[in-house]
Amino acid sequence: MVLEALEREGVEYIFGYPGGANLPIYQHLHEHPKLKHILVRHEQGAAHMADGYARASGKPGVVFATSGPGALNLVTGLCTAYMDSVPMIAITGQVNSTQVGRDAFQESDVIGATSSVTKHSYLVTKIDQLPRVIHEAFHIATTGRPGPVLIDICKDVQQADAERVTPEFLEIPGYKLNGHVDLGHAHQAARALAAAERPVILAGHGVLLSHAEHELRQFAEAAAAPVGTTLLGIGAFPVKHPLSLHMTGFMGTGWCLKAVQNADVLMMVGMRVDDRVTAKLSEFAPNAKTFIHIDIDGSEMGKNVRPHIELVADARLALEAMLPHVGALNADRGKWLAQIDAWREEHPLRYKHSNGQLQPQDVLIDMYRRARSEAIVVADVGQNQIWAALWWNYDRPGLFINSGGSGTMGFALPAAIGAKFGRPDLPVWCVAGEGGFVMTAQELSVAVEHKLDVKIVLLNNFSLGMVRQFQDDFYGGVRSQVDLTHMPDFVKLCEAYGLPALRVEKFEDIAPSFDAAERTKGPFLIDFRIDPEANVYPIVPLGKGLNEFREAPEYA
Amino acid sequence: MLEIKPQQAAPAATPKGTDRIRVLSVIVEDGPNTLTKVSGVIRRRGFHVRGFSVGPSRQPGRSRITLEIDHGHAEADQVRKQLERLVEVLEVEDLTGDPMHSRELVVATVAASDLDALLKKGARILSTASDGTTVEFSGDGDEVSDFVHELARHGIVDVVRSGPVVMRRTE
Ligand SMILES: Cc1ncc(C[n+]2csc(CCOP(=O)(O)OP(=O)(O)O)c2C)c(N)n1
Ligand SMILES: [Mg+2]
Repeated sequence: MVLEALEREGVEYIFGYPGGANLPIYQHLHEHPKLKHILVRHEQGAAHMADGYARASGKPGVVFATSGPGALNLVTGLCTAYMDSVPMIAITGQVNSTQVGRDAFQESDVIGATSSVTKHSYLVTKIDQLPRVIHEAFHIATTGRPGPVLIDICKDVQQADAERVTPEFLEIPGYKLNGHVDLGHAHQAARALAAAERPVILAGHGVLLSHAEHELRQFAEAAAAPVGTTLLGIGAFPVKHPLSLHMTGFMGTGWCLKAVQNADVLMMVGMRVDDRVTAKLSEFAPNAKTFIHIDIDGSEMGKNVRPHIELVADARLALEAMLPHVGALNADRGKWLAQIDAWREEHPLRYKHSNGQLQPQDVLIDMYRRARSEAIVVADVGQNQIWAALWWNYDRPGLFINSGGSGTMGFALPAAIGAKFGRPDLPVWCVAGEGGFVMTAQELSVAVEHKLDVKIVLLNNFSLGMVRQFQDDFYGGVRSQVDLTHMPDFVKLCEAYGLPALRVEKFEDIAPSFDAAERTKGPFLIDFRIDPEANVYPIVPLGKGLNEFREAPEYA
Repeated sequence: MLEIKPQQAAPAATPKGTDRIRVLSVIVEDGPNTLTKVSGVIRRRGFHVRGFSVGPSRQPGRSRITLEIDHGHAEADQVRKQLERLVEVLEVEDLTGDPMHSRELVVATVAASDLDALLKKGARILSTASDGTTVEFSGDGDEVSDFVHELARHGIVDVVRSGPVVMRRTE
């Protein structure tokens, strides 16, 4: 029943792991050749693969796990998807309905453990609930603000036979979708931006989720308003566009942060305005007289920043509705844009080239030169993530995937594998630090088994680099438990897993190593031994306002 | 389970001086997960329950929850917005500050035999036994608090008190 329902929903891949409580489903898997099951090596890997698959393909990712430890191993992956609004369906086995509550073998309260990291969840104890529940789950996961939905199915239900019914219509009275745009507010917002002296637009993941890149660009050009993106919004606006401010937030570009702090009208589209974007909240955009907030989730309004004009709507529909009302612009706009250009000159992204050590930026720049905008980059968490965000010029949506809201180390490798399943037509690059990489490195077997063209760029700095940088800069320079000298020899590790790998220590070897990776079909890893003291800049010290960003020292 | 703080001097339905309290009337779908989800949101968002009651609504399969919530450091309207995100929640009505009927129930057994003062306040006798007399009383939060105060002078053997139920008052 479960598998038929998944076929009906158009599912192509399932990332999963069997066990006692979902054996009845696995027994019939071979009867459904349209459903391709990818056996992972750890359930967390399954959740991240489904997540990467969903982000790359736009279709919901599907995960199977057994009860108890299997289901609980999904929690981090569910949270990662939940924080970043990724559509996912997790189907977990539960003990027999008659055993629920008796501490049966491998029983755990999965609904209880996951309800704060899922958009919705179901416990299915009767077979007649199943078709409706699965259909509803897909609807809820993929509509509105997307998110993971968990279905916990008792083992006896999986075995039960019932009349095959196809659920036809959906009636979920408690599920409200915010579709319509308040035209009055749209008009007001457009006029506020046009009349501004120093407008700034910030764009988040919601712009990508609603495919509003085109509308955003049209609107920004009409309003001659510069656009910065959040970490998750990267790709929503072309980095090379003259109005681009690149990335905002506490590790954003200096010119973007200056623009935000000096803006008189700030419009935030499809974003949560979290603490990584605002830094010290009371000092966020202190000159803004008007905050405009557009988001499909009404609970985001005023959660962190109280907007003067709010639009609870899909980003694309909202921008579409606003465009005709932009009208005449404030004449002084040229001055503002010139000011931003001056800040761009004054605070460029820069790094140290010449101390003889391999710099992460050198690696990324070479990678970008080859891939241009024809590849997906999946980053892990830490310094590697921010370097990958800042040193590529993403000019199309969907090319940069990372765990922004949850910051889950170990995300990149499985998510890159999932992304490759979702977009086999595009090269997929996984950029990771050595710390995060070993958290889910067992999934290399999946890449090898399926001969997946996933190229892994390890930015190996022999430490938990981001934490080391924080300790150096903000915690009195005390380096505590961040040393990763004792790590496997990654080339040998790859050999053991059955994939080719190279170690690179010198600048001159970057290009040949990428040549080798590109020549090789299937997975490939390059262990770049980078400058262990390389840091992420700009960075706003913890607890400070955005205007207090620190920059990379100027190097000769 | 819900974190319901026992209150000696219980606040009225809309306590004076605490503008962080929201009074909400919530219609939910009955189901095994509903209460977990509602209480989960309250806990996770840093809200506190001050009053809670639940009972069937007019529609079968749906219940009405009355909540008095301290929204803590969050924006006041977040309680409503966060509850509305739950699929199990069908309707949230925020009655804070509106004219309303807010009623609580108290049932108590007292040792004293002279119950005049209680009866004058409007108590009703439910039963009499060897250890005392059991009475009930309903009223708004202030009235119930006054009544409990009065009970203390009659030698309380046992007392139970409900959370509030509220209804918007139409003039
Ligand atoms: C699962 C998990 N544990 C801990 C952290 C905290 N954390 C954030 S970045 C970081 C260091 C990451 O080190 P590495 O993977 O080597 O990347 P680098 O910063 O060196 O590029 C840590 C420990 C986290 N984000 N996720
Ligand atoms: Mg590292």
